[in-house]
Amino acid sequence: MKIRFLLPLIFFILIGLLLWRGLSLHPNEIPSPLIGKASPTFSLPTLLGTKATITEKDLKGHVTLLNVWATWCYACALEHEYLMELASHKDFKLFGFNYKDDNIAARHWLKEHGNPYEIIAVDVTGTTAIDWGVYGTPETFLIDKNSIIRYKQIGPITQEVWEKTLRPLVEKLENEA
Amino acid sequence: MVPELGHFAIILALSFALMQFLAPIGGYYKKENLYFQLSYIAVIGQFSFLWFAMLCLITCFMNNDMSVSYVQEHSHQLLPLLYRIGAAWGGHEGSLLLWCLILSTWTLAFLAFRRFVPPAPLSLQRGVITVLGFISAGFILFLFATSDPFRRVFPTAPINGDDLTPILQDPGLIFHPPMLYMGYVGFAIGFAFAICALISGKLDREWARAARPWVVMPWGFLSCGIVLGSWWAYRELGWGGWWFWDPVENASLLPWLSATAFIHALMVSEKRNTFKGWTLLLAIVTFALSLLGTFLVRSGILVSVHTFASDPTRGLFLLSYLALIIGGAFTLYSFRIKHFYQAPTFALFSRETFLLINSVVLLSAVVTILIGTLYPIILDSLNLEKISVGEPYFNTVFLPMMLPLLLLMGFAPHVSWGEQSIAKLWQKLRLNLILSLLLGLSLPKLLGFHFHWLACIGISCALWIVLATGQYVYQLKKSHQLVGLQHWSMIVAHLGIAVMALGITVTKSYSEERQVRMNLNETVTVANYQFTLKQLNETQGENFKSITATFLVQKAHQSPLALLAEQRIYTSHEQSLSKPGILANLYRDLYLALGSSLPDGGWSVRIYYKPFVRWIWAGGFMLLLGGFLSLLSSIRLRGKK
Repeated sequence: MKIRFLLPLIFFILIGLLLWRGLSLHPNEIPSPLIGKASPTFSLPTLLGTKATITEKDLKGHVTLLNVWATWCYACALEHEYLMELASHKDFKLFGFNYKDDNIAARHWLKEHGNPYEIIAVDVTGTTAIDWGVYGTPETFLIDKNSIIRYKQIGPITQEVWEKTLRPLVEKLENEA
Repeated sequence: MVPELGHFAIILALSFALMQFLAPIGGYYKKENLYFQLSYIAVIGQFSFLWFAMLCLITCFMNNDMSVSYVQEHSHQLLPLLYRIGAAWGGHEGSLLLWCLILSTWTLAFLAFRRFVPPAPLSLQRGVITVLGFISAGFILFLFATSDPFRRVFPTAPINGDDLTPILQDPGLIFHPPMLYMGYVGFAIGFAFAICALISGKLDREWARAARPWVVMPWGFLSCGIVLGSWWAYRELGWGGWWFWDPVENASLLPWLSATAFIHALMVSEKRNTFKGWTLLLAIVTFALSLLGTFLVRSGILVSVHTFASDPTRGLFLLSYLALIIGGAFTLYSFRIKHFYQAPTFALFSRETFLLINSVVLLSAVVTILIGTLYPIILDSLNLEKISVGEPYFNTVFLPMMLPLLLLMGFAPHVSWGEQSIAKLWQKLRLNLILSLLLGLSLPKLLGFHFHWLACIGISCALWIVLATGQYVYQLKKSHQLVGLQHWSMIVAHLGIAVMALGITVTKSYSEERQVRMNLNETVTVANYQFTLKQLNETQGENFKSITATFLVQKAHQSPLALLAEQRIYTSHEQSLSKPGILANLYRDLYLALGSSLPDGGWSVRIYYKPFVRWIWAGGFMLLLGGFLSLLSSIRLRGKK
């Protein structure tokens, strides 16, 4: 048999293998270009508490989970319950980032469902969120002690996400200088 | 009750599909006619029960039976009846049922019309039915095992559904998917013909003549389906575009390109009894690309506007079946193809050579688009990076490839089979060449457009084809030959391509667009048309609220026309959708999409002027017409015998 008669078959097998490999990939999960970079500079008012503003300097010195949320976001409500559980965690600080929301509604919401956050930045116009590359809620950034963004979780934090992905990373960052 | 009946109908259809495939195999061993009759009955049974299942599904949607999870996911109490019917194929499960249904419809058509079109020899008829049975059985099994549309929600049924995505709520949903599938799935018959030829080692003129209508008709439907999809995207997405090089659009274009090559190769097989290996390869490639398209859409492997939810087990099943069918076909091809090899009997400068170049160019276009479409997966699977390949790549590689094709179309009808003298051809066509170049360069100026190279090339090519085709008819008449239906089918299809090429290049060259903010009674000028925002009304639709903006459009010294653009908010999801307003005539579209309202009370508005854009779709419908004429010619051919 001449080799050129086999060419269509070989070409097909290559494409087939590629597609088979492609099935286990997730094209919708776009990695954040900010990973490995220092957090963007920002200065935002806070929703509750004594401190009036929050800036990137407040991220220094501890591992931070920055959770982007809004009262109008259905998935955030699902995530909230688990965040309440995580709030008791001593290893890291959980910061909130209230995205394009109404202040009164947000306060009311926290009163009703409980407040897991240490401090909450308020971005009514969504301009700071653009610097962070936020394109949906909920999203959560994992930031290390030197305020470098190390991971971005797209979608709600569930028990599974926490146990499999976030917790090992948090523990690793905790042991870094 | 209805969902259970539908579910049961799918099981019965699956058994019939197995019978359609297994009975003839028994027949070959036992040499008994009865077995073949059984498989014919199976075709009818499968067809009836798949239709029954589809009617059951449509009934579930009409009744809004939210206890069926597929209905619950794609319907809503407020969804208008028309879209509830269309929603039956608006999601994965239903569109797969439609796939199976259309395959069985084609199979039945093949069986029913075998006396009206050039008949295939009995053994070939039986073979084709067997292969189609095998394909059908796999797909119905896939439907039944992984994507049952009739699955109930237990224990309690939700009160309301998740609703159909607003983009799909358009009359386009009723026509576009069935038309597209009629094309895609129909290529299964050409594929079955090829498999039979490979097994029996027999590919003669009779084979090619019998196969032709079963390739040309699906091709016509696919052309029309692609064009309908393009028209739908144009009216619905609000970006004024008519082709986005989205992976799923590419998936429908790929089999179209290779089927075009297939039709031409098949003609050479029929008229000259050569090109056999090439014809067989193209038959397999065309169906492989159709299946690949189904896989790409259904597995969610690529990011696209068409993929909504995906499930890896479904992708794996489809891929395995694709590997079995197409891998098997290519293996068969590599072992058997030596039996079809012939030394070429034509001179270098002959119609055969022109048609061979046509095939090669079309197949190269297939490969480049395929690479562009799969490139994101290639990079991602090598862990390099995540990218998407867009318009710049495709336009750069695709357009230059189409140019030689358009040039060939002006030559090929005038080149003789076997051998052609170059001097005579030059004598014949030089006037066409000069005329089309001159008109191509001057027409835009005469019509008041500025010079643009792309438009000049497009108009020249279109005229080149039109003149060549006209001359072809004239010469047939002059030599007192009858211009038969088969000639007409070719003429209409070639003119369709010319019309389309003209539309594409002129629209690309001379479209104008402006994005502006407008307040009431403000006027904006685009391409000599003055657009004035006159009125804003709130209206209430069946399942949406909307804001309708009325614009007055006026060109100097002409009476003003009203243009309505809408911004809809669908109540079930609070999802908004812009319904552009379009003022269309043969020479231009005025297209206006309402954006978002601005804090100061104004609106952001996108206005487009698109000359000759309708010609693109008109060309597509001419291709469908060409397909029908070819079918008629096949029927006539049978009548004459």
